[in-house]
Amino acid sequence: MMNIEATQFEKAILLKVSGRMDAENAVEFDKACDLWISQGGKHLIADLSDLQYVSSMGLRSFLAAAQRLKSVSGSLMLCGLKGLPRQVFEMTKLDTLFRIYETAEQALATL
Amino acid sequence: MDRSFERLTLPARVESVRVFHQFVRSGAEAVGLGSADMNKLDLVLEEILVNIARYAYEGGSGDVQVAYSTEPGSLLVEVTDGGRSFNPLDSAPPDLALGLADRPIGGLGVLLVRQIVGSLSYRRQDGQNTLSFRFPGPGPIST
Repeated sequence: MMNIEATQFEKAILLKVSGRMDAENAVEFDKACDLWISQGGKHLIADLSDLQYVSSMGLRSFLAAAQRLKSVSGSLMLCGLKGLPRQVFEMTKLDTLFRIYETAEQALATL
Repeated sequence: MDRSFERLTLPARVESVRVFHQFVRSGAEAVGLGSADMNKLDLVLEEILVNIARYAYEGGSGDVQVAYSTEPGSLLVEVTDGGRSFNPLDSAPPDLALGLADRPIGGLGVLLVRQIVGSLSYRRQDGQNTLSFRFPGPGPIST
């Protein structure tokens, strides 16, 4: 239902999240973020271009990861947001709290 | 005229949500909803059902029933639980103006439901809570 693929770059970890992120599996994203943060990762980029669905439990995970990273002077950036996930971020005004880019390359270029 | 409903009752647990999705999608297909609308309907149901799973039975267990009735181009959906009296429409909306560090984690589910379906009704009857809505509703993003 959801797949998370991690790629490590010099300054950030890219997590490509695809499929459907719901109440049952959002914790997998939490674990992926925890893993990288515990290894000293400060900047995470979530590529959501193949994410078809996200519910409020998924939003909680994005928010929680962003707050943890902010507390260590890091950041969670989003890219590729479209369709229903984009509408969900807009409806909850979370789009105003994240740095959102079209592509992962654009997000990486800001670091 | 009496309305006929398809009904499914399952334990009020997060693990039941996907089964309810499949159940209601049968009705959504029958009335010709497209995949974008089906995902929005899934989202509305998930938010309502997760709230019930987490809060209705206060640490105990119980059931939840989803019922739908088909209409031309839309569904009437009812979600009923036997938990404590709780009208989610009474809950205060989250403060969306807060910055990242202060934004509470949670409280967004009811907001999403309201935004998508536009109009919901709640009733407490015979010890049960029932939330009902029409989908697609008059909500601002129901396209």
